[in-house]
Amino acid sequence: MPVSRQLLKPVSLGFILFTIVVALTTALIPWGPTVRAILPDGVALVLFYWCMYQSRRVGMGWAFWLGIVLDIADGNVFGQHGIAYCLTAWFVLARHRQLGMFPLWQQALYIGPLLFASQLIMLVVRMATGSAFPGWFIFIGALTGAVFWPLLSQLLQMQQRTEKRAEIQS
Amino acid sequence: MQSTIQPAFFKQGPKPFSRLLIYASLSLVLLVVDVRWQILQPAREIVSVALYPLQWLATAPVSVAHQVSNYFVTQTALQQENRRLQDERLLANAQLLRMQALQQENIQLRQLLVTRDMQGGRGVLAEVLYNDRDPYTAKLVVDRGEQDHVKAGQVVIDPLGVVGQITRVQPLTAEITLITHKNQPVPVQVVRNGLRAVVYGSGPESPLEVRFMPVNGDIRNDDLLVTSGIDGTYPAGLPVAKVTRVDRNAGSAFARISCEPAADVDKHRFMLILNEKRSIPAKPTPPAAPAKKKGAD
Repeated sequence: MPVSRQLLKPVSLGFILFTIVVALTTALIPWGPTVRAILPDGVALVLFYWCMYQSRRVGMGWAFWLGIVLDIADGNVFGQHGIAYCLTAWFVLARHRQLGMFPLWQQALYIGPLLFASQLIMLVVRMATGSAFPGWFIFIGALTGAVFWPLLSQLLQMQQRTEKRAEIQS
Repeated sequence: MQSTIQPAFFKQGPKPFSRLLIYASLSLVLLVVDVRWQILQPAREIVSVALYPLQWLATAPVSVAHQVSNYFVTQTALQQENRRLQDERLLANAQLLRMQALQQENIQLRQLLVTRDMQGGRGVLAEVLYNDRDPYTAKLVVDRGEQDHVKAGQVVIDPLGVVGQITRVQPLTAEITLITHKNQPVPVQVVRNGLRAVVYGSGPESPLEVRFMPVNGDIRNDDLLVTSGIDGTYPAGLPVAKVTRVDRNAGSAFARISCEPAADVDKHRFMLILNEKRSIPAKPTPPAAPAKKKGAD
Protein backbone atom coordinates (compact mmCIF):
# COMPACT_ATOMS: atom_id res chain seq x y z
CA MET A 1 0.00 0.00 0.00
CA PRO A 2 1.68 3.23 -1.09
CA VAL A 3 1.88 5.57 1.84
CA SER A 4 1.07 8.71 -0.09
CA ARG A 5 -2.51 7.67 -0.80
CA GLN A 6 -3.54 8.53 2.69
CA LEU A 7 -4.12 12.05 3.80
CA LEU A 8 -2.08 12.45 6.92
CA LYS A 9 -2.55 14.92 9.72
CA PRO A 10 0.17 17.53 10.13
CA VAL A 11 2.92 16.66 12.56
CA SER A 12 3.74 18.88 15.48
CA LEU A 13 7.34 19.81 16.14
CA GLY A 14 6.88 18.45 19.65
CA PHE A 15 6.17 14.98 18.31
CA ILE A 16 9.25 15.05 16.11
CA LEU A 17 11.37 16.08 19.07
CA PHE A 18 9.75 13.42 21.24
CA THR A 19 10.54 10.61 18.79
CA ILE A 20 14.12 11.81 18.48
CA VAL A 21 14.57 11.97 22.24
CA VAL A 22 13.16 8.45 22.56
CA ALA A 23 15.55 7.24 19.84
CA LEU A 24 18.49 8.90 21.61
CA THR A 25 17.52 7.31 24.92
CA THR A 26 17.33 3.83 23.40
CA ALA A 27 20.70 4.52 21.82
CA LEU A 28 22.15 5.30 25.25
CA ILE A 29 20.94 2.07 26.85
CA PRO A 30 24.02 0.01 27.69
CA TRP A 31 23.28 -3.06 25.60
CA GLY A 32 25.75 -5.87 25.61
CA PRO A 33 28.04 -6.06 22.59
CA THR A 34 25.99 -8.73 20.80
CA VAL A 35 22.63 -6.97 21.18
CA ARG A 36 24.27 -3.72 20.20
CA ALA A 37 25.58 -5.29 17.01
CA ILE A 38 22.18 -6.67 16.07
CA LEU A 39 20.11 -3.61 16.94
CA PRO A 40 19.83 -1.06 14.15
CA ASP A 41 20.88 2.55 14.55
CA GLY A 42 17.54 3.88 15.86
CA VAL A 43 18.55 7.52 15.69
CA ALA A 44 19.45 7.17 12.03
CA LEU A 45 16.15 5.42 11.27
CA VAL A 46 14.05 8.12 12.95
CA LEU A 47 16.12 10.81 11.25
CA PHE A 48 15.59 9.18 7.83
CA TYR A 49 11.88 8.92 8.51
CA TRP A 50 11.48 12.59 9.27
CA CYS A 51 13.76 13.58 6.39
CA MET A 52 11.48 11.59 4.10
CA TYR A 53 8.13 12.88 5.33
CA GLN A 54 8.98 16.27 6.83
CA SER A 55 11.82 17.35 4.60
CA ARG A 56 10.91 21.02 4.97
CA ARG A 57 11.54 20.85 8.69
CA VAL A 58 14.04 18.08 9.33
CA GLY A 59 17.11 18.08 7.16
CA MET A 60 20.85 18.37 7.12
CA GLY A 61 21.01 20.60 10.19
CA TRP A 62 19.25 18.03 12.32
CA ALA A 63 21.47 15.27 10.96
CA PHE A 64 24.57 17.25 11.84
CA TRP A 65 23.54 18.18 15.37
CA LEU A 66 22.23 14.70 16.17
CA GLY A 67 25.57 13.36 15.02
CA ILE A 68 27.38 15.74 17.36
CA VAL A 69 25.19 14.73 20.29
CA LEU A 70 25.83 11.04 19.63
CA ASP A 71 29.56 11.63 19.28
CA ILE A 72 29.61 13.29 22.69
CA ALA A 73 27.46 10.60 24.27
CA ASP A 74 29.81 7.92 22.97
CA GLY A 75 32.96 9.92 23.59
CA ASN A 76 33.99 9.55 19.97
CA VAL A 77 35.93 11.96 17.86
CA PHE A 78 33.75 14.89 16.91
CA GLY A 79 32.11 14.63 13.52
CA GLN A 80 32.17 10.87 13.09
CA HIS A 81 28.40 10.52 13.28
CA GLY A 82 28.01 14.02 11.83
CA ILE A 83 29.56 13.12 8.49
CA ALA A 84 27.80 9.77 8.29
CA TYR A 85 24.37 11.19 9.08
CA CYS A 86 24.77 14.25 6.83
CA LEU A 87 25.77 12.21 3.79
CA THR A 88 23.09 9.56 4.24
CA ALA A 89 20.36 12.04 5.16
CA TRP A 90 21.16 13.87 1.95
CA PHE A 91 20.43 10.74 -0.05
CA VAL A 92 17.01 10.59 1.62
CA LEU A 93 16.35 14.31 1.16
CA ALA A 94 17.34 14.30 -2.49
CA ARG A 95 14.79 11.56 -3.25
CA HIS A 96 12.18 12.20 -0.59
CA ARG A 97 9.26 12.77 -2.98
CA GLN A 98 9.98 9.57 -4.85
CA LEU A 99 10.57 7.57 -1.68
CA GLY A 100 7.30 8.74 -0.14
CA MET A 101 5.42 7.01 -2.96
CA PHE A 102 7.21 3.70 -2.66
CA PRO A 103 5.68 0.85 -0.69
CA LEU A 104 7.38 0.25 2.60
CA TRP A 105 9.42 -2.77 1.51
CA GLN A 106 10.91 -0.79 -1.35
CA GLN A 107 11.75 2.01 1.04
CA ALA A 108 13.46 -0.57 3.20
CA LEU A 109 15.58 -1.60 0.20
CA TYR A 110 16.76 2.02 0.00
CA ILE A 111 17.20 2.53 3.74
CA GLY A 112 19.22 -0.65 4.34
CA PRO A 113 22.12 0.34 2.05
CA LEU A 114 22.06 3.83 3.56
CA LEU A 115 22.51 2.39 7.05
CA PHE A 116 25.31 0.23 5.66
CA ALA A 117 26.90 3.30 4.10
CA SER A 118 26.67 5.22 7.35
CA GLN A 119 28.50 2.43 9.19
CA LEU A 120 31.05 2.31 6.37
CA ILE A 121 31.69 6.05 6.62
CA MET A 122 32.15 5.77 10.38
CA LEU A 123 34.49 2.83 9.85
CA VAL A 124 36.59 4.86 7.42
CA VAL A 125 36.69 7.82 9.83
CA ARG A 126 37.71 5.64 12.76
CA MET A 127 40.34 3.73 10.80
CA ALA A 128 41.72 7.06 9.59
CA THR A 129 42.00 8.32 13.17
CA GLY A 130 43.80 5.18 14.27
CA SER A 131 41.24 2.80 15.76
CA ALA A 132 41.36 -0.96 15.42
CA PHE A 133 38.92 -2.72 13.10
CA PRO A 134 36.10 -3.88 15.39
CA GLY A 135 34.85 -6.76 13.26
CA TRP A 136 32.26 -7.30 10.56
CA PHE A 137 29.42 -7.51 13.06
CA ILE A 138 28.96 -3.73 12.98
CA PHE A 139 27.25 -4.11 9.62
CA ILE A 140 24.54 -6.48 10.88
CA GLY A 141 22.63 -3.45 12.17
CA ALA A 142 22.05 -2.26 8.60
CA LEU A 143 20.23 -5.49 7.77
CA THR A 144 18.03 -5.44 10.84
CA GLY A 145 17.49 -1.72 10.30
CA ALA A 146 15.99 -2.44 6.88
CA VAL A 147 13.73 -5.06 8.49
CA PHE A 148 12.71 -2.63 11.23
CA TRP A 149 11.95 0.17 8.78
CA PRO A 150 8.35 -0.83 7.85
CA LEU A 151 7.52 -1.37 11.54
CA LEU A 152 8.95 1.99 12.50
CA SER A 153 7.15 3.79 9.68
CA GLN A 154 3.83 2.27 10.68
CA LEU A 155 4.45 3.15 14.31
CA LEU A 156 5.33 6.77 13.62
CA GLN A 157 2.42 7.20 11.20
CA MET A 158 -0.10 5.92 13.70
CA GLN A 159 -0.17 9.31 15.33
CA GLN A 160 -0.73 11.07 12.00
CA ARG A 161 -3.60 8.97 10.71
CA THR A 162 -7.01 10.56 10.51
CA GLU A 163 -9.51 8.58 12.51
CA LYS A 164 -12.52 8.97 10.23
CA ARG A 165 -11.58 8.23 6.67
CA ALA A 166 -15.22 8.00 5.56
CA GLU A 167 -15.82 11.63 6.32
CA ILE A 168 -13.19 12.75 3.89
CA GLN A 169 -14.79 10.90 1.01
CA SER A 170 -18.26 12.29 1.61
CA MET B 1 16.50 38.09 -10.60
CA GLN B 2 13.74 35.57 -10.86
CA SER B 3 14.67 33.89 -7.65
CA THR B 4 14.34 37.05 -5.56
CA ILE B 5 10.67 37.54 -6.35
CA GLN B 6 9.48 33.96 -6.08
CA PRO B 7 6.59 33.44 -3.67
CA ALA B 8 7.36 32.47 -0.10
CA PHE B 9 5.84 29.03 -0.65
CA PHE B 10 8.77 27.94 -2.77
CA LYS B 11 11.45 29.37 -0.56
CA GLN B 12 13.31 26.51 1.05
CA GLY B 13 16.60 28.16 1.88
CA PRO B 14 19.77 26.78 0.34
CA LYS B 15 19.49 23.65 -1.73
CA PRO B 16 20.00 20.32 0.04
CA PHE B 17 23.22 19.71 -1.83
CA SER B 18 24.81 22.98 -0.76
CA ARG B 19 23.65 22.28 2.80
CA LEU B 20 25.27 18.87 2.52
CA LEU B 21 28.52 20.50 1.48
CA ILE B 22 28.31 23.01 4.34
CA TYR B 23 27.58 20.49 7.05
CA ALA B 24 29.89 17.77 5.75
CA SER B 25 32.80 20.21 5.61
CA LEU B 26 31.85 21.50 9.06
CA SER B 27 32.01 17.97 10.46
CA LEU B 28 35.31 17.34 8.70
CA VAL B 29 36.73 20.50 10.25
CA LEU B 30 35.45 19.45 13.68
CA LEU B 31 36.95 16.01 13.16
CA VAL B 32 40.37 17.36 12.31
CA VAL B 33 40.27 19.98 15.08
CA ASP B 34 39.24 17.36 17.63
CA VAL B 35 41.84 14.81 16.60
CA ARG B 36 44.71 17.29 16.22
CA TRP B 37 44.25 19.81 19.01
CA GLN B 38 41.62 18.48 21.40
CA ILE B 39 40.29 21.92 22.23
CA LEU B 40 36.61 20.99 22.16
CA GLN B 41 36.55 19.57 25.67
CA PRO B 42 34.39 22.40 27.17
CA ALA B 43 31.70 21.82 24.53
CA ARG B 44 31.79 18.12 25.30
CA GLU B 45 31.32 18.78 28.99
CA ILE B 46 28.32 21.04 28.51
CA VAL B 47 26.53 18.63 26.21
CA SER B 48 27.39 15.62 28.34
CA VAL B 49 25.76 17.27 31.37
CA ALA B 50 22.70 17.95 29.26
CA LEU B 51 22.71 14.30 28.18
CA TYR B 52 23.05 12.98 31.71
CA PRO B 53 19.27 12.74 32.37
CA LEU B 54 18.84 10.70 29.19
CA GLN B 55 21.71 8.44 30.18
CA TRP B 56 20.22 8.06 33.61
CA LEU B 57 16.86 7.22 32.06
CA ALA B 58 18.48 4.65 29.79
CA THR B 59 20.43 2.95 32.57
CA ALA B 60 17.70 3.18 35.24
CA PRO B 61 15.81 -0.02 34.22
CA VAL B 62 19.03 -2.01 34.38
CA SER B 63 19.99 -0.78 37.83
CA VAL B 64 16.42 -1.27 39.11
CA ALA B 65 16.53 -4.84 37.81
CA HIS B 66 19.85 -5.32 39.60
CA GLN B 67 18.39 -4.04 42.85
CA VAL B 68 15.28 -6.18 42.55
CA SER B 69 17.28 -9.31 41.83
CA ASN B 70 19.56 -8.47 44.75
CA TYR B 71 16.52 -8.19 46.99
CA PHE B 72 15.25 -11.65 46.14
CA VAL B 73 18.44 -13.51 46.87
CA THR B 74 17.55 -16.73 48.63
CA GLN B 75 18.27 -17.45 52.27
CA THR B 76 20.64 -20.31 51.52
CA ALA B 77 22.61 -18.22 49.10
CA LEU B 78 22.99 -15.54 51.72
CA GLN B 79 24.04 -18.05 54.35
CA GLN B 80 26.57 -19.60 52.03
CA GLU B 81 27.96 -16.23 51.14
CA ASN B 82 28.11 -15.21 54.77
CA ARG B 83 30.01 -18.39 55.64
CA ARG B 84 32.42 -17.86 52.81
CA LEU B 85 32.97 -14.25 53.75
CA GLN B 86 33.68 -15.19 57.37
CA ASP B 87 36.27 -17.68 56.23
CA GLU B 88 37.82 -15.19 53.91
CA ARG B 89 37.87 -12.55 56.62
CA LEU B 90 39.78 -14.83 58.95
CA LEU B 91 42.24 -15.61 56.24
CA ALA B 92 42.54 -11.96 55.26
CA ASN B 93 43.03 -10.91 58.87
CA ALA B 94 45.92 -13.26 59.23
CA GLN B 95 47.42 -11.94 56.03
CA LEU B 96 46.77 -8.37 57.10
CA LEU B 97 48.74 -8.81 60.28
CA ARG B 98 51.72 -9.99 58.35
CA MET B 99 51.08 -7.31 55.80
CA GLN B 100 51.18 -4.53 58.37
CA ALA B 101 54.45 -5.78 59.69
CA LEU B 102 55.80 -5.97 56.17
CA GLN B 103 54.54 -2.50 55.40
CA GLN B 104 56.31 -1.05 58.39
CA GLU B 105 59.46 -2.79 57.41
CA ASN B 106 58.98 -1.65 53.87
CA ILE B 107 58.53 1.98 54.88
CA GLN B 108 61.76 1.86 56.83
CA LEU B 109 63.57 0.28 53.93
CA ARG B 110 62.17 2.84 51.54
CA GLN B 111 63.17 5.69 53.79
CA LEU B 112 66.62 4.26 53.63
CA LEU B 113 66.46 4.03 49.88
CA VAL B 114 64.86 7.47 49.46
CA THR B 115 62.54 6.43 46.70
CA ARG B 116 59.42 8.30 45.92
CA ASP B 117 57.38 5.43 44.55
CA MET B 118 54.43 3.58 46.02
CA GLN B 119 53.22 5.96 48.67
CA GLY B 120 50.21 3.77 49.38
CA GLY B 121 47.72 6.40 48.36
CA ARG B 122 44.00 6.41 48.60
CA GLY B 123 41.48 5.68 45.92
CA VAL B 124 37.95 6.43 44.86
CA LEU B 125 35.55 3.55 44.42
CA ALA B 126 33.68 3.90 41.15
CA GLU B 127 30.77 1.99 39.72
CA VAL B 128 30.68 1.19 36.04
CA LEU B 129 27.73 2.93 34.41
CA TYR B 130 28.05 1.25 31.07
CA ASN B 131 30.37 -0.17 28.49
CA ASP B 132 30.92 2.43 25.86
CA ARG B 133 28.48 1.81 23.02
CA ASP B 134 31.15 2.55 20.50
CA PRO B 135 32.43 -0.77 19.09
CA TYR B 136 35.75 0.81 18.08
CA THR B 137 36.95 1.74 21.52
CA ALA B 138 37.65 -0.33 24.60
CA LYS B 139 36.24 2.10 27.12
CA LEU B 140 34.14 2.09 30.25
CA VAL B 141 32.15 4.94 31.71
CA VAL B 142 32.04 5.22 35.50
CA ASP B 143 29.98 7.34 37.85
CA ARG B 144 32.78 9.49 39.21
CA GLY B 145 33.81 12.73 37.60
CA GLU B 146 35.25 16.15 38.27
CA GLN B 147 32.99 16.42 41.32
CA ASP B 148 34.93 13.63 43.00
CA HIS B 149 38.27 15.13 41.99
CA VAL B 150 38.96 12.46 39.42
CA LYS B 151 41.60 13.59 36.99
CA ALA B 152 42.66 12.36 33.60
CA GLY B 153 45.67 10.08 33.84
CA GLN B 154 44.71 8.35 37.06
CA VAL B 155 45.05 4.58 37.16
CA VAL B 156 42.09 2.27 37.62
CA ILE B 157 42.43 -1.17 39.18
CA ASP B 158 40.19 -4.02 40.20
CA PRO B 159 41.00 -6.68 42.81
CA LEU B 160 43.12 -8.61 40.32
CA GLY B 161 45.13 -5.94 38.58
CA VAL B 162 45.25 -2.91 36.34
CA VAL B 163 42.09 -2.23 34.36
CA GLY B 164 43.05 0.96 32.62
CA GLN B 165 43.50 4.65 32.89
CA ILE B 166 41.14 7.62 33.14
CA THR B 167 41.35 9.42 29.85
CA ARG B 168 38.47 11.85 29.83
CA VAL B 169 36.69 13.46 32.74
CA GLN B 170 33.23 14.95 32.52
CA PRO B 171 31.61 16.76 35.47
CA LEU B 172 29.66 13.69 36.61
CA THR B 173 31.26 10.79 34.75
CA ALA B 174 34.66 9.69 33.62
CA GLU B 175 35.90 7.46 30.83
CA ILE B 176 38.34 4.65 31.43
CA THR B 177 40.45 3.55 28.52
CA LEU B 178 41.10 -0.13 29.12
CA ILE B 179 44.54 -1.62 28.78
CA THR B 180 43.11 -3.69 25.91
CA HIS B 181 42.50 -0.51 23.90
CA LYS B 182 44.53 -0.40 20.73
CA ASN B 183 47.94 1.19 21.31
CA GLN B 184 47.36 1.79 25.02
CA PRO B 185 50.85 1.12 26.42
CA VAL B 186 51.64 0.01 29.97
CA PRO B 187 55.27 -0.20 31.10
CA VAL B 188 55.77 -3.52 32.84
CA GLN B 189 58.36 -5.73 34.41
CA VAL B 190 58.58 -9.50 34.40
CA VAL B 191 58.21 -10.62 38.02
CA ARG B 192 60.53 -13.60 37.60
CA ASN B 193 63.61 -11.70 36.51
CA GLY B 194 62.83 -7.99 36.53
CA LEU B 195 63.06 -7.64 32.76
CA ARG B 196 61.43 -4.39 31.63
CA ALA B 197 59.02 -4.27 28.72
CA VAL B 198 55.98 -2.42 27.42
CA VAL B 199 52.58 -4.09 27.00
CA TYR B 200 50.35 -2.76 24.24
CA GLY B 201 46.64 -3.31 23.85
CA SER B 202 45.65 -4.51 20.40
CA GLY B 203 41.95 -3.98 19.98
CA PRO B 204 38.81 -5.17 21.68
CA GLU B 205 38.99 -8.86 20.88
CA SER B 206 42.64 -9.73 20.60
CA PRO B 207 44.80 -10.15 23.70
CA LEU B 208 47.54 -7.83 24.87
CA GLU B 209 50.99 -8.05 23.34
CA VAL B 210 54.51 -7.20 24.36
CA ARG B 211 56.22 -5.36 21.55
CA PHE B 212 59.87 -4.70 20.82
CA MET B 213 61.17 -7.60 22.87
CA PRO B 214 64.30 -9.07 21.29
CA VAL B 215 64.04 -12.67 20.13
CA ASN B 216 66.46 -13.75 22.83
CA GLY B 217 64.66 -11.88 25.62
CA ASP B 218 64.17 -14.02 28.69
CA ILE B 219 60.40 -14.28 28.78
CA ARG B 220 58.34 -17.46 29.01
CA ASN B 221 54.78 -18.68 29.12
CA ASP B 222 52.95 -17.96 32.40
CA ASP B 223 55.30 -15.15 33.31
CA LEU B 224 53.49 -12.53 35.36
CA LEU B 225 53.94 -8.94 34.23
CA VAL B 226 53.54 -6.16 36.79
CA THR B 227 53.78 -2.40 36.37
CA SER B 228 57.33 -1.19 36.61
CA GLY B 229 56.49 2.31 37.77
CA ILE B 230 59.17 3.98 35.70
CA ASP B 231 56.71 5.97 33.60
CA GLY B 232 55.53 8.11 36.50
CA THR B 233 51.89 7.22 35.82
CA TYR B 234 51.35 3.68 36.99
CA PRO B 235 52.51 2.88 40.51
CA ALA B 236 54.95 0.00 40.63
CA GLY B 237 53.96 -3.57 41.37
CA LEU B 238 50.37 -3.82 40.11
CA PRO B 239 49.67 -7.01 38.15
CA VAL B 240 48.96 -6.27 34.48
CA ALA B 241 49.05 -9.43 32.43
CA LYS B 242 50.15 -13.02 32.12
CA VAL B 243 52.12 -14.25 29.14
CA THR B 244 50.15 -16.82 27.16
CA ARG B 245 52.26 -17.38 24.07
CA VAL B 246 55.75 -16.59 22.91
CA ASP B 247 56.60 -16.91 19.22
CA ARG B 248 60.26 -16.64 18.45
CA ASN B 249 60.55 -16.27 14.73
CA ALA B 250 64.14 -16.08 13.56
CA GLY B 251 63.00 -14.01 10.56
CA SER B 252 61.94 -11.00 12.59
CA ALA B 253 63.91 -8.86 14.99
CA PHE B 254 61.36 -9.07 17.78
CA ALA B 255 59.51 -11.93 19.42
CA ARG B 256 55.74 -12.04 19.19
CA ILE B 257 54.48 -12.26 22.76
CA SER B 258 50.78 -12.44 23.54
CA CYS B 259 49.40 -12.03 27.03
CA GLU B 260 46.03 -11.91 28.69
CA PRO B 261 45.07 -9.21 31.17
CA ALA B 262 45.35 -10.12 34.84
CA ALA B 263 42.29 -8.07 35.74
CA ASP B 264 38.80 -9.09 34.68
CA VAL B 265 38.81 -6.12 32.38
CA ASP B 266 35.18 -6.29 31.34
CA LYS B 267 33.47 -8.21 34.12
CA HIS B 268 33.36 -5.96 37.17
CA ARG B 269 30.86 -3.40 38.30
CA PHE B 270 33.12 -1.72 40.83
CA MET B 271 36.64 -0.48 40.37
CA LEU B 272 39.10 1.58 42.28
CA ILE B 273 40.49 4.81 40.87
CA LEU B 274 43.91 5.25 42.45
CA ASN B 275 44.65 8.69 43.70
CA GLU B 276 48.33 8.61 44.44
CA LYS B 277 50.46 11.63 44.86
CA ARG B 278 53.69 10.91 43.10
CA SER B 279 56.40 13.46 43.25
CA ILE B 280 57.99 13.07 39.89
CA PRO B 281 60.89 15.40 39.27
CA ALA B 282 60.34 17.76 36.37
CA LYS B 283 61.77 16.65 33.07
CA PRO B 284 65.07 18.36 32.39
CA THR B 285 65.04 20.69 29.42
CA PRO B 286 67.13 18.91 26.80
CA PRO B 287 69.81 21.39 25.64
CA ALA B 288 70.45 23.56 28.69
CA ALA B 289 69.80 20.94 31.30
CA PRO B 290 71.07 21.76 34.77
CA ALA B 291 73.36 19.17 36.22
CA LYS B 292 70.71 18.03 38.69
CA LYS B 293 69.95 14.39 37.99
CA LYS B 294 67.01 13.15 39.95
CA GLY B 295 65.23 9.84 39.87
CA ALA B 296 67.23 8.28 37.13
CA ASP B 297 66.14 4.67 36.75
